[in-house]
Formats: sequence, structure tokens, C-alpha cells
Amino acid sequence: MASISFVKSLVNPALKLVLKQSHCSHIRNTTLLPGLTPLSIVLQRHYAEKQVFERTKPHCNVGTIGHVDHGKTTLTAAITKVLSDLNLAQKKGYADIDNAPEEKARGITINVAHVEYQTEQRHYGHTDCPGHADYIKNMITGTAQMDGAILVVAATDGVMPQTREHLVLAKQIGIEHVVVFINKVDAADQEMVELVEMEIRELMSEMGYDGDKIPVIKGSALCALEGKSPEIGADAITKLLQEVDTFIPTPVRELDKPFLMPVESVHSIPGRGTVITGRLYRGVLKKGTECEIVGHGKVMKTTVTGVEMFHKTLEEAQAGDQLGALVRSIKREQIRRGMVMAKPGTTKAHDNLEAAVYILSKEEGGRAKPFTSYIQLQMFSMTWDCASQVTIPDKEMIMPGEDATLHLRLLKPMVCMTGQRFTLRLGDITLGTGVITKINNNLSEEERLKLLEGKKAREKAAAKK
Amino acid sequence: MKLRAKAYTKMIFQLVRRLHTSPVCRAAESSLLAKLRKKTGYTIANCKKALEMHNNDSDKAEAWLNEQAQAMGWAKATKLAGRTALQGLVAVKFDKGHGALVELNCETDFVAKNDKFHKMMEDATLAAFKFAHTHLQAKGPITKMELDSEQLGNLQAEGGKKLSETLALFIGTVGENAVLRRAECWKANQNEVKITAYTHPAPATPGDYSAGKYGALLAYKQPNDLQDFGRQLCQHIVGCAPVKIGDKEKDKPAKNSDDETCLIFQEYLLDPSYTVEEVMEQNKLEIIDYVRFSCGEAVESNMPGVEKQPLDTVQTLQ
Repeated sequence: MASISFVKSLVNPALKLVLKQSHCSHIRNTTLLPGLTPLSIVLQRHYAEKQVFERTKPHCNVGTIGHVDHGKTTLTAAITKVLSDLNLAQKKGYADIDNAPEEKARGITINVAHVEYQTEQRHYGHTDCPGHADYIKNMITGTAQMDGAILVVAATDGVMPQTREHLVLAKQIGIEHVVVFINKVDAADQEMVELVEMEIRELMSEMGYDGDKIPVIKGSALCALEGKSPEIGADAITKLLQEVDTFIPTPVRELDKPFLMPVESVHSIPGRGTVITGRLYRGVLKKGTECEIVGHGKVMKTTVTGVEMFHKTLEEAQAGDQLGALVRSIKREQIRRGMVMAKPGTTKAHDNLEAAVYILSKEEGGRAKPFTSYIQLQMFSMTWDCASQVTIPDKEMIMPGEDATLHLRLLKPMVCMTGQRFTLRLGDITLGTGVITKINNNLSEEERLKLLEGKKAREKAAAKK
Repeated sequence: MKLRAKAYTKMIFQLVRRLHTSPVCRAAESSLLAKLRKKTGYTIANCKKALEMHNNDSDKAEAWLNEQAQAMGWAKATKLAGRTALQGLVAVKFDKGHGALVELNCETDFVAKNDKFHKMMEDATLAAFKFAHTHLQAKGPITKMELDSEQLGNLQAEGGKKLSETLALFIGTVGENAVLRRAECWKANQNEVKITAYTHPAPATPGDYSAGKYGALLAYKQPNDLQDFGRQLCQHIVGCAPVKIGDKEKDKPAKNSDDETCLIFQEYLLDPSYTVEEVMEQNKLEIIDYVRFSCGEAVESNMPGVEKQPLDTVQTLQ
């Protein structure tokens, strides 16, 4: 009951949207932490009382970055105010955004404020994030993603020493499109504003963005919020949103990608053949499609001769559907859970990975102790799991509650893609969750044997060198 | 098709706009304000004010800004003093017989990654390290001195400036609250007592200064003919956060080894098949004392804030 009332207090439209999205377009792997299940059930129970989210416009996630005093929150409030006048958003006060409750989803504490609004073109989820580590954590756990960012700089202060760090973060989490908003122009004059614009363009170019082409909008979020001087208030906000609409591209939807389905189980139906069941992870699957089944060291080519859902045949299955696929001339014994059925040539099995990983703190269900290189962890992703040897390239150990880059070497090749999420477990404890960032060349036979060597053997080999 | 046409229109628009704006930018670049800002790095509003006060004489304006920087820093520091600052770094500096462990906090971890913050951190640590050399009296195997925020602020950094003054300048530049939280200065009084330190994340090449989110100082005795084991043990302390060293006669090991808080009963981090006590015996190491800081662990309300400066001498600009 406690969890239900907790969720009730939490269910704001934005969170609902996020959850619904994750329902429809299954981007996540199937080894979801159990924490999500009660959430979604409770959500459905309240559908009758709640407003229903209508998917009419493409969705895009944006966020504000910038110095603490430069007016990120004021800008967010101003955006909702300007759009609420057009009936496109619910007005949020400064306090609503600034004191957003610490949202607990998937058992991991996340410290962000979520706001939703829409323009004529698109629907937006807006994130405001207080720190670097917080944001990295969100990116890794997949809780809040940003397709683009709005960098807020006050005209009175100009570029601060830490603005560089803000852009480093944006680069690190893969944001390629940044729109700049020069705030507080009501407290500055023309010359100062121009100077700030120049400084920002210079810094952006230095950080590897196209500084000359980045849209820079000047205005005052406070004026917009108070409804004063529209030329730097409401109009500037409108202009900012136009630039966000055009400059930040709509992300590719999961439906438009080549299809992929992790194998959950395999059945043999007399008179019909072999049926593979699972949830379509991305793309669209039709009867008669050529496919490839990859994993556990095997690659098999075949054709889908039928698609079924709830024992009814289906013309076309979409990402997120739980389905059964009838495949031609393959025996049940040849397929195992953990393999992946996908469009031929789009997936491969790998065993040498680099990943960004967030290690859970004790309070989040992780371990109290740190770990060092050469620890053996079980890696779970999609429907497969595999033992992996973990090495830490740039630190001596990883403390709980920290994020890090890890090298993972799997005992046998499994289907991996960059951007794929996974969890790392040790015995009965979930140690961390991560996302694959880079795939290296597969291990040689010799390297694979080395994975099983103990500490003594490694030390011996090191001493020999 | 329509979309593409739109994209082209936009590109052309941007190109035209760029042509339009760039001469303006160039004009600004050559202006006095731009020069002064670039040279001094003070906020644009302050540069502007300085120029106005000195009839656009940039030399005088610069002199005035430098003169005012300290006062402005104090003003900003006083203004921001109440804000929570729990991010930041813990740094250590040590040699064989001395050690200093210092915590410096700021509001966001963006600032903690900045070079200016690292410089400030190093200054503070060096000051505390120097203090350990000059001010500690010999008594017992080691002398320990705990410094709070105010005492730390009163230490002299290089160049004779007080640390609190340097901090105020720093706050003026980044516009965020920062607090010299606490420090621990150690001095070994016997030859066989050694001091070592560790921070996490550790630097790629171990040196006598490092900074990270966690840090520890360790004083120990170990025969010189054995391979030095202090650093590894210090790493264990940083990693496993023992509450006390523990006494074999009085304390009992916890039932679940993961909940163990006595150092000697803990599983050794780098080789969990041994306990710390066993590893210590193997290396003939004797622990005298240790101290561990984790950044942001100190409860804010129990801590005195930044040192207040009389405000009547301060000219506030913001």
C-alpha cells in the first residue's frame, strides 16, 4: 500500500508519458529491475481517473544546462507560461520545478525535474539536471535522455569558468545539438549581449560544436514569466522554441529501425514447425521476412512463415508486441533462449566490449564494498546472460554510487550493439547497470583462455614480462 | 520534399544571418569591454562598470577591478554563504613524516571539475601541509590536529594571503558557494612511524599530492626491509570505510562479513580470501591510526559557514 500511495503522489503527466513510452516502443532490455512492474500496474489502474496522453506529435527530449544562477529554472517556467497561453502546456511555477521530488524509478534514485509541453510541431519532455554525476547516471540507467539541450547563459555574467564543464558533459552524453539562450538581457546592454554571444560561439567552436551555426537567442525569462516587455520576454521564448523545433532533429523511432527480437523461448508445434516467442525489441515484423538467428556462437538464416499474437495470426507485428514467429526448416533444438532473431546482417555476436556503467550504492540495492579489476560478474542483457571479466581502465577501484568506464570480456560471444543496456550481477546482488559504448575486436582463442586464469597466474605472467 | 525545402530555407537564412551578424561581432571584439573582459575574466557587468567609472581608461579600469576583486569576492561569498555546498574534492599531501587531508566543497560537481577549483584545492592542501611541518608539537608517536572551516581559512597560503581570502576570490569568479570544510594535519614524531595517504580516484602516477572524492591518511609501523604495504592498506581504508581499527580481544567479528566495520576483521579488498589482520601479519605492519574523509559526508548544519567579513568596507556590485 505504501508503494501505491507513493506512486500516486508521483504520477505526473511527464512520468506517465515516460512510462507509457517505455511500454510501447520497447527500447529497454527485458531484464528490467522488478521495481518497474508495480509502477505500471498501478498506472493502469488509474487510467480511468487520469487524462489520457494522446500521441499526435513526434516526441523529443530536451534539457537545460548552465550555471546555477543563470536562470535555468526561470526559463523552464517561462516556457510553460508562454505555451500555456497557447494552451499547449500546463503552467508550472518556479517552485514546482525547483523542488521537484526525488523521483525513484527502477530502484535508482534520480534527482531531476521533469516537465512536459508541446509546440505546434512537437511534444517535449523537459529535464533539468543539477549535476554532472546525476546526469551521467541518468544517461546510463536510461531514465532521462536528452536529444538536444538548451544552454542558458546570463548576459550579466557571460561565460563562466564552469560553462566549459557543462559542454564537456553535453559532449560526453552524446548531445550534438545545443541551442543557446542568453538570459537576463533586461539587465544588460547591447554591447554586453553581443560580447556574450561572441564568447559563447568561440567556446562552442573550441569544444567541437559548430559555433558559427548554433542558434543563439537573446531574451529575459523573467520578463516572459512576469508578462513584461514582450520583445525580450514572450517573443524571445517563442523564438527559442522555434529554433529548438528546427535545430534539434526528431529522434529515430524504434519502429523505423531494422527489426530485432530476443528469443525468450522456443516451441515445437506438431504439423506446423518451430515457433520462437519473444517481444519485438524494435522494428516491424511481417510474414515472409528473411531473418537471421544469432547467438551462442551460431548464425542461422531462415524465413518467418507466420506471425502470431495471442494465438491469432497477425499481418504485421510492431516493436513492443509479444509474439510468436513460425520459422522455416529449423529444429527446436537448434535455437536457445538468449539468441536473437533479426534482419540479416544487422546484428553480430561480440565478446569484447566497453561500457559506461553506474554502480549501485548500498541504499539502492548494491554492495557496500568497492570492486577492483578482474572481478568476474554475470552480465544480463535482453534474454541472455553470460559470465564476464571486468577490468577498469582508468581507476584502481570503483566505489558504490559511482559511474565508470569498464572493459567487459565475455566468456562466449553474445549479440551486442552499442547503446544496448545491461545489468551486472554478482551472486544475488545487482551490482550495477550500464550501456554499451564501444565494441572492440573479438577475443582470440588465447585471450579467451586467459579469462579463466586466476590471480596467481596473472601475477606470474606479469612478473615474466 | 517540403521538409527538405524547409531545411534549405533555414540554411540560407542562417547563412544570411551569419553574414549579417559577423561584422557586428568583429566590432565588439575590438571594443574595450571585450578586451578588458578577455584580459581579466571578471564578469561582464563588472567590466562594464569599471570602464564607466574610469572614462573608458582600460588601464585604470583594470587596476580598479583587481583592487575590487577581493571585496567583490567577499560580497559574493557573504551573499552565497547559506547555500548548501556538498560537492567538491578531498585532497591529500604527504611525505614520510607528515600528512595533510583537506576537504573543499562547492555547490555543483561541474565546478569541482574546473581547473580553478583544482588550483584552490592544491593551495589549501599545501597550506595545511606546511602547517603540519611548522606548528605541530611533538607528543606520543604522532601528533594530530583537526582544523575546522574557520581555522583552515586562517592558514596562510603561498604569497602570504589567507586561505579564506583566496576562497572569496574564487567564489567571486565562479559565482557559486564554496566552503573550506575541514582538514586533518598529522606529524610523526618517531622515525619508525610512517605516514601515507590515498585518494579515490587515484592519479595514474602515484605522487605525494592527489585529490578525489574520498581520501584517507594512515600512520603505521613496518620494518624497512619489507616491501612497503601502507598504500595498499590505505586504499583498503578508502574503499571499505572501516569505522575503527578494532581490538582482537574486545571486538568480535560481525556475522555477515559485508557488514564488518572493524578494520582488522574486514576482508582485504585486493584479495578477499584474506582478512586485513592476516595481510597485516604477513607484512609485519602495525597500524597506529587512520582517518578517512568522504566528500560531502559532514553534516552541513553542524559546520560553521564561511568566515564573515565586515561588510562596510565592501562595495557591492551585484
